[in-house]
Amino acid sequence: MNYVPNKGKETAEMLKAAGVASFDELFASVKPKLARKLNLSPPKSELELAGHMLELSGKNTLLKNFVGAGSYDHYIPSAVAHITSRSEFYTAYTPYQAEVSQGTLQVIYEFQSYMCLLTGMDVSNASMYDGASATAEAAFIACDITERSEIAVLNKLNPNYEKVLRTYCESRGVKITGELTQKSACVLVQNPDFEGNVHELEEFANRAHEAGALLVVSVAEPTSLAILKAPGECGADVVAGEAQGFGNPVSFGGPMLGYIAVKKDFVKRIPGRLCGMTTDSRGKKGFVLTLQAREQHIRRERASCNICSNEALCALAATAYLALMGKTGLANVAKLSYERAHELQKKLGELGFALQNTKPFYNEFAVKCPIKPKKLIAALEKRGIAAGLGIGEDRILICCTEKLSEQDVEDYVNVVRGLL
Amino acid sequence: MKLIFEQSGKNSEYVPESKAVLREPFGRKELPIPDLGEVQVIRHYTKLSTLNYGVDSGFYPLGSCTMKYNPKINEDVARLPGFAALHPLTPEKSSQGALEMMYELEKDLCEITGMDAFSLQPAAGAHGELTSVMIARKHFGKKRSKILIPDTAHGTNPASGAMCGFGMVTIKSNSRGNIDLDELGKAMTEDVAMLMITNPNTLGLFEEEITKIADIVHAKGGLLYCDGANMNAMMGITRPGDAGFDIMHLNLHKSFSTPHGGGGPGAGPVGVKKFLENYLPVPRVVKGGDRYSLNWKVKGSIGKVGPFFGNFGVLVKAYTYIKAVGPELKLVSEAAVLNANYLMRKLQPHYDLPYDRICAHEFVLTSKKQNEKGVHTMDIAKRLLDYGHHAPTIYFPLVVPEALMIEPTETEPKEKLDEFADSMIKIANEPPELVKSAPVTTPVGRLDGVAAARQPNLRWSNE
Repeated sequence: MNYVPNKGKETAEMLKAAGVASFDELFASVKPKLARKLNLSPPKSELELAGHMLELSGKNTLLKNFVGAGSYDHYIPSAVAHITSRSEFYTAYTPYQAEVSQGTLQVIYEFQSYMCLLTGMDVSNASMYDGASATAEAAFIACDITERSEIAVLNKLNPNYEKVLRTYCESRGVKITGELTQKSACVLVQNPDFEGNVHELEEFANRAHEAGALLVVSVAEPTSLAILKAPGECGADVVAGEAQGFGNPVSFGGPMLGYIAVKKDFVKRIPGRLCGMTTDSRGKKGFVLTLQAREQHIRRERASCNICSNEALCALAATAYLALMGKTGLANVAKLSYERAHELQKKLGELGFALQNTKPFYNEFAVKCPIKPKKLIAALEKRGIAAGLGIGEDRILICCTEKLSEQDVEDYVNVVRGLL
Repeated sequence: MKLIFEQSGKNSEYVPESKAVLREPFGRKELPIPDLGEVQVIRHYTKLSTLNYGVDSGFYPLGSCTMKYNPKINEDVARLPGFAALHPLTPEKSSQGALEMMYELEKDLCEITGMDAFSLQPAAGAHGELTSVMIARKHFGKKRSKILIPDTAHGTNPASGAMCGFGMVTIKSNSRGNIDLDELGKAMTEDVAMLMITNPNTLGLFEEEITKIADIVHAKGGLLYCDGANMNAMMGITRPGDAGFDIMHLNLHKSFSTPHGGGGPGAGPVGVKKFLENYLPVPRVVKGGDRYSLNWKVKGSIGKVGPFFGNFGVLVKAYTYIKAVGPELKLVSEAAVLNANYLMRKLQPHYDLPYDRICAHEFVLTSKKQNEKGVHTMDIAKRLLDYGHHAPTIYFPLVVPEALMIEPTETEPKEKLDEFADSMIKIANEPPELVKSAPVTTPVGRLDGVAAARQPNLRWSNE
């Protein structure tokens, strides 16, 4: 199958109309020519293709997920996929022709609004690739504003976020430090942090602001915003986060859904697309991409960020998810996730696992294992359970969402009990 | 249309109710988002979708964007639970199918491009560019400070270079629309890390002297980079790796048929020659016997550019496409180039064609002839919407004033090209005031972008 609709007859007519005798003539100026056929597996019919893909997907084993660590497995209402499957949405390009893109544009405006309401910030962009690169870009906003080039990371970042931050900083000549000084552009903290601890952001905000730095808060688990005080109300200047947990499947880690939200003074520093409300020539309300003078296609080498395609369809999924869940549903998701995690932590504590969280935690927690984490993870995998993420020699990071039932928690504990 | 926030209702029970009463710091008081019934939400977004235009709605000749048809089976397979419900930190033993898919996709991309190794981690084209510039930075350290780009380059190229602290130097194009070799020779010094070019370029023209360009760059020890946005013109015909490119990115959401999603998610894999392989992001997918695993221990890697392994769901779709088409990718590129040349020759009598030579998969016209009557490219673009087509890319590339950049792609039948050509020709002969008042049939008229930027309204507020 190659999805080319023209037949031989049309092709011959078109070659003639194009003024060439053959395809060879059409590609005459191209060099060097590939003198052989591409060495790829032969074309497949859709029937064969469907079989092949089903077989390939079947080589993965789906486990009961007690793993989070940056990718959160929350329940997705059926209606979300029905909305994102509208091909007027998913087969469209970036909404540059606003008159025929009001659907995408209004969705972006609603997404920006939802993220502002949840984070307590004034302005959110239309999306970034993922929470990790968004966190790096958010720190660079602080570097731009303060004209300083050090980032003070003051709590435990998700190691993948930290690795991405390191890669971005290295090429940009920005230094990552563990302490706040007069050279720091920002204090960067993750909340909840990698091991699930919930921090008092006000304290970080005060310290940052006293040193002339900004507070950048990274949020990896978006449902935490449903029950935690909004970072914007705690003095955050920039919030960067991951919103995959809102209506997007874990999908082996991608696509993800990053975003950056800022206080309104910094709107011109925010990277990526922004959608604004305006009026049309007929006096009717409408939406356009706006403040584009910040972006690469206008500003070129003077742009602060090069982002172009972002994660629009994932933002649609998140917007639909939030609309369906509403405040009541979202609060239930967060409370159930909280309850399951606390149940499991308590039971593991009773079995002799040393509890590692020093502060209150939401749905993710660390424990020290009485047996090697590797052994524990392998044993639970055999029973269809993804036990958590091993961290270091003897600890494990465990996450619960509302998708896990009380029975699932019970099963987990029973398998563990058998190992001790 | 009302905003979602201007409606109210009772939400559906998607998850059980929790009776838990949580204490500080979990006692968020105010969550100012509405509860709504499912039918309200479905109708709201269904209605919004009807205000949109996609490839499934009609002709979408957006130059440089390759808006080809997005096969439906790709959407279905990406949603198979074995892929969509797989957590990225699932132990390797339980994720063999995902790793195999990635390994095979990397291998196929190597074969299609002639590169030696690929990383699938970058999430979009611009992200792939940035990754490539990071590789150049790591390769040269502080020893080289400049990157060259032609004046036809995508805006993301200079922005990517500047993000890594490189000075960007622009090379002029010659009268045939290609890089001027004399200019390049003068600019290519031992302080230049890389020449970034799009081939075929954004004028829709193949670089005729690509091997000479490679020689000039390599003679000074520089790297040659290919922005693979236009791969759709050359699959099975020529390979960047054979032409002397050292590093490149691909846009899987262009040549490899994955949908654009209204602005992403895309995927921007980066391919390199052997001598640059160890710089690629970690982890790398490796095969030992018939087991696949992730290798985190690569000395010299730039590190990570994304949290996990890239936009996996998009990768599944591109893989599915490549397995469907196989070596017939050559027919795809041939048809893409033929469709563009056919349409170009049909429109040539009516519109100014600044570079009159065989084009690749796209071509650039201008509205010079229409400007005399006071009609500009923007007007023509808006009038096309009235005829039921999407507009081409306009005012790009920057070196052509009043540009209309048209890319029909191979998935359009001849009759659709004829229909579009008829509309373009009609518009060329319509009274200027009619064209300038377009669009009249769209859900909204021309929008006031100036007001939007002057008094930004970027969110709904409950105050």
